[in-house]
Amino acid sequence: MSTGTLTWAGVEVPREEYLHPGHLACQGCGAALAMRLVLKAMGGDAMVVLPACCWTIIDGPFPYHALKVPLLHTAFETAAAAAAGVKAGLEVLGDTRTQVIAWAGDGGTFDIGLQALSGAAERNEDILYVCYDNEAYMNTGIQRSSATPLGAWTTTTPEGHPEDRPKKDLMAIMAAHRIPYAATATVAFPDDLIRKVRKARGIKGTRLIHILAPCPPGWRMESELMIKVSRLAVATGAFPLFEVEGGTRYTVTYRPAQIPLKEYLKLQGRFAHLTEDQIAVLEQLVKARWQELLDLHARTHGQAEEIPVVPIGG
Amino acid sequence: MVTVSATKVITGNHAVSYGALLSRVQVISAYPITPQTQVVELLSEFVASGRLAARFITVESEHSAMAACIGAASVGARTFTATSSQGLALMHEMLHWASGARLPIVMANINRALAPPWSIWTDQTDSLAQRDTGWMQIYVETSQEVLDSIILGFKVSERVLLPTMVVLDAFLLSHTAEPVEIYDQGRVDEFLPPFSAPYRLSPGAPQALGGLADPGVYFEFRVKLQEAMERAREAIVEEGERFSKLFGRFYGLVQEEHTGDAETVIVTAGTMAGTARAAVRELRSQGRKVGLVRIRVFRPFPFSEIRRILEGRKRVAVLDRNLSPGHHGIFYEEVKSALYPVSARPLVVGYVLGLGGRDVRPEDIQAIVDDVEKREEAREIVWWGVRR
Amino acid sequence: MDIDPTRGLPETPLSWGDTRWNKTGSWRHMRPEVRERAAPCAKACPLGNPIPNVMTAVSRGDLEGAARLLLERNPFPSITGRVCPHPCEVGCNRRRYDEPLAIRSIERLVGDWVHEHRTVFSPGETGKRVAIVGSGPAGLAAASFLRRQGHRVVVYDRNDRVGGMLVDAIPSYRLPRSIVEREARALEEMGVVFQLGVTVGRDVSVEQLLMSYDAVLVATGAHGERTMGIPGEEHFIGGLAFLRSVRRGQRRPPGRRVAVVGGGNVAIDVARTLVRLGAQPVVLYRRTRKEMPAIEEEVERAEADGVEFQFLTLPVAAAKQDGYLRLTVVRMQLGERDRTGRPRPVTIPGSEFALECDAAIRAIGEVAETDFLPREVLDDEGWVVADKVTGATQRKGLFVAGDLVTGPATVVEAIAAGLRAGRAMDRFVRGEPLPVQEKPLPTVPLKEINLAYFPKAPRVPIPELPLSTRSRTFDEEILGLDVASARGEAGRCFSCGSCNLCANCWIFCPDAAIHLDGDLPRVDLEYCKGCGLCAAECPRGVITMKEELAREEVVA
Repeated sequence: MSTGTLTWAGVEVPREEYLHPGHLACQGCGAALAMRLVLKAMGGDAMVVLPACCWTIIDGPFPYHALKVPLLHTAFETAAAAAAGVKAGLEVLGDTRTQVIAWAGDGGTFDIGLQALSGAAERNEDILYVCYDNEAYMNTGIQRSSATPLGAWTTTTPEGHPEDRPKKDLMAIMAAHRIPYAATATVAFPDDLIRKVRKARGIKGTRLIHILAPCPPGWRMESELMIKVSRLAVATGAFPLFEVEGGTRYTVTYRPAQIPLKEYLKLQGRFAHLTEDQIAVLEQLVKARWQELLDLHARTHGQAEEIPVVPIGG
Repeated sequence: MVTVSATKVITGNHAVSYGALLSRVQVISAYPITPQTQVVELLSEFVASGRLAARFITVESEHSAMAACIGAASVGARTFTATSSQGLALMHEMLHWASGARLPIVMANINRALAPPWSIWTDQTDSLAQRDTGWMQIYVETSQEVLDSIILGFKVSERVLLPTMVVLDAFLLSHTAEPVEIYDQGRVDEFLPPFSAPYRLSPGAPQALGGLADPGVYFEFRVKLQEAMERAREAIVEEGERFSKLFGRFYGLVQEEHTGDAETVIVTAGTMAGTARAAVRELRSQGRKVGLVRIRVFRPFPFSEIRRILEGRKRVAVLDRNLSPGHHGIFYEEVKSALYPVSARPLVVGYVLGLGGRDVRPEDIQAIVDDVEKREEAREIVWWGVRR
Repeated sequence: MDIDPTRGLPETPLSWGDTRWNKTGSWRHMRPEVRERAAPCAKACPLGNPIPNVMTAVSRGDLEGAARLLLERNPFPSITGRVCPHPCEVGCNRRRYDEPLAIRSIERLVGDWVHEHRTVFSPGETGKRVAIVGSGPAGLAAASFLRRQGHRVVVYDRNDRVGGMLVDAIPSYRLPRSIVEREARALEEMGVVFQLGVTVGRDVSVEQLLMSYDAVLVATGAHGERTMGIPGEEHFIGGLAFLRSVRRGQRRPPGRRVAVVGGGNVAIDVARTLVRLGAQPVVLYRRTRKEMPAIEEEVERAEADGVEFQFLTLPVAAAKQDGYLRLTVVRMQLGERDRTGRPRPVTIPGSEFALECDAAIRAIGEVAETDFLPREVLDDEGWVVADKVTGATQRKGLFVAGDLVTGPATVVEAIAAGLRAGRAMDRFVRGEPLPVQEKPLPTVPLKEINLAYFPKAPRVPIPELPLSTRSRTFDEEILGLDVASARGEAGRCFSCGSCNLCANCWIFCPDAAIHLDGDLPRVDLEYCKGCGLCAAECPRGVITMKEELAREEVVA
């Protein structure tokens, strides 16, 4: 039955699907799951604006469409600008209810789309910007982006010369714009993702959700590991889950568990070439990042001790 | 709201703003660039004072400006922007997007030279370099025509579902003031009702606009675009006639002056046509058989009008304030190729002049008439007024 | 998927269809198989209790649902919830991860809840009549089952109480009498008739019963106490007799220092009972602690009660002396393993020593009395011969179950045997074929549990009487859990192999190809791309990936 809700980890999730099967995502695609979950959190009450990215293909060729909400295809760098336009258009036509979701990959957000995002964020356009981050230009064949983590293999950072720059800090950029709400999320914690999207849904102004969406072919792993990798990204501290309100109030969702970073890296072929020393460098980066985040959380909440540890067994 | 028609002395730029105001545009998304700024400044005031019930998005670049216009138009809002040279060049990708998505956006472009070296003065290369983007292009001569062409632009665009670029010269038109009749809103509303989009994205209907079209179908969409351009010729004339009934001014695809028995015809566009008009009148008073054709609508190209008017003439001098490097002045190329099937072909000579805002005076045009009448053939560009 | 533009194209590139035409099921080379398997706890349970399903219901606070599930396999959860040695907890996969579930305590909670919320059940009548001899756990289980099928059930017992070992041997600090009486009352309310004080084989014969009833079950247990065959045997008190006297109210110990011979459950019950009577028992066992057949938990509790153990000892003679009892005891050592796999105890020559005590109790094993049964159902040694699955004997219509058949075992095994016989007798009286052995389901090992979904959590502490006071009272020593604690503990259950509709498979499918419209998830094979996420994220091994079949079999 596709009406009503079911409860998953304490969160009410609508049974209704806003994503049709038959879409063209690869097996085990994190981006497809991210869209499915976000639309459920929105209750299907939205329009999507989609720049060039994997989802341009996933949605299906003309004349087909994989979503139960309308979608505007737009040029690579324009997600936030086109979304702002759609929202303005809807409002002047009397529709102040339908939300506009800019749905872009890491390329269309961190790199070519960053200007439009910055402009929209600075103007506090009333859009929900979702960046589904698979940490490279996957649609065009796994080239590096500024979201590619240090040490990762991509086709433009091959094994002889893997990625030599750390991942760009999108959340810091968004915080600097003082938008009402920004949060990170990932598909292995759908309850947390849905909760954050629902929270964003109730806020006016520019809201951004940065979703880590693992890509089995691009990260060089079996499709069935996609959720496990997403979970370990959080559990090892590699991808922190947190929220920033108004650019200044930080709330960390979970502390990492005592799981070494290696447990996350070893599942992915794109990190297979790393030496112990290189892994140590990555661990340092993660550690430094966490120090910052915990300080920011403490500055906001008075102390960081009560942050729950990521709920993971094993 | 303008309730009573009034005549004001206003600049070309402000005529753009009034045109957009009277057209009741709903979403404006624009980025400032000299010499367009006054367009958006006055529109901002209209919006801020409530005179214009529109959303004004102060985007962070022209590329985003056009993207936002496309977003708003895709859900059925009447959308407007304005730019010039560098900004228009930056928008290039999205100009294709607007026409491919068949969105009736209207944009005013102030013709300005492209850098480097930096220049803010008038030059037609910026808009002509966008001639392949599927936008209708209207080159205007007076401030009145500016205002009227904005209104007409929406009317025709919304009829054939293609965007329109209304082009005016930097400073020569944008910043000079002329008396302009600003119509009462009621009459404009009668001519231009609210936009009722036949194709739009609607929250109730889960459709995608612009998805991947494989070789089996993409071609046909381009054919449709061309067919819309072809329908636009007739639409422009019909709507021009309707406009003329209501407002007393007719605008067609081209404007002729003194062409009747002319042996030599000047063909040009923009304010240079105004300068040429003065030269032609002076030469006529001297008994010379000279005429003028002002190309108003460049896209869709007015093939029949050009052929009809220029067939059988002795000499045609095309005046281009633009250049397609490696080729020729662009109006010249297109006029010449339009005349190819005509049996009594005139000698067509292409003059490139006034680039980067170099002044063109009536005397220059008179001298060009003398020059063209002396020529038997012209294979290369005739540069006019180059300082060497 | 070729669109024909000659058949009309919209003016703008607006879509008109969705992607459901695209049956991405053709992409698979592996497909998910949804198949429930047995949990190791359920497999270890002699009753086959559906433990994971019960845990799921309890965790949701649905005690009625839990009761319904449990009662299908176990008619007396408030009894087993107190005395069962819980092989389920030993088999529990969680034991090898953090701590096993407190399954027995939760079963007790459900069992007690059943009685607090009992409604009288009146089955329809079939007109068939069955007799059951013996009202111990095996007989009562069969009675419960057969009465529910609508047959007239009469239970005979030579005792004046219902319950057999449950009320006349097992000490009340393990199982209060009121718990058993409650069950008996419930059975009576349902229409079971008890004929107490009737000795079958003396007051009425088995033959007579076979003539008057459509089927007869004999489940008289094993009450014959083995003797040691040593001089001075007459000074020894029988263990079962002792326990029975205490259950009947005797509170004076047979002496202060009392020797208890044996290593089984009766010996331990005797020793712990003696402590509560104020005596000082010393247990003499001929092997070591490791080989004691008694329930380990009871041995531990005996040690905590302060019971003294002397291992590798065996009395060989007893004599009265000045009011004391003098036992001659030899020391043993462990030799070769015997038939049962246990090392054979061998006397160490010359190791005799004297042990003085006030009394001695022997508890070295029980045997079944079978002389009242027809000859044809016995073997040469006097043991009953019966079918393992149905309890049917050579004699048509005569069934047997429990300790009578196996020798001393556990309450739960007796209940299981009683139910097996009951099911068989039900078929028999209807003229239907008797049940056959069910094929055991494969179980889910720990390595197939996705432990990521189970953060480590300690087992709920089970409340007990304080150590200082409990060895001085016959009050029930293990107390029950409250509902909240039970819910929390039940929530620790992995539910190995049993789908509890956690919806992980559904929520993680990127293709929306899993549907939860029934008791089990349904995979839409038209679209499933075989990514394997549902199988990987099923916490409990219900979904596994199998190689895809030939294409023709897949296309719907």
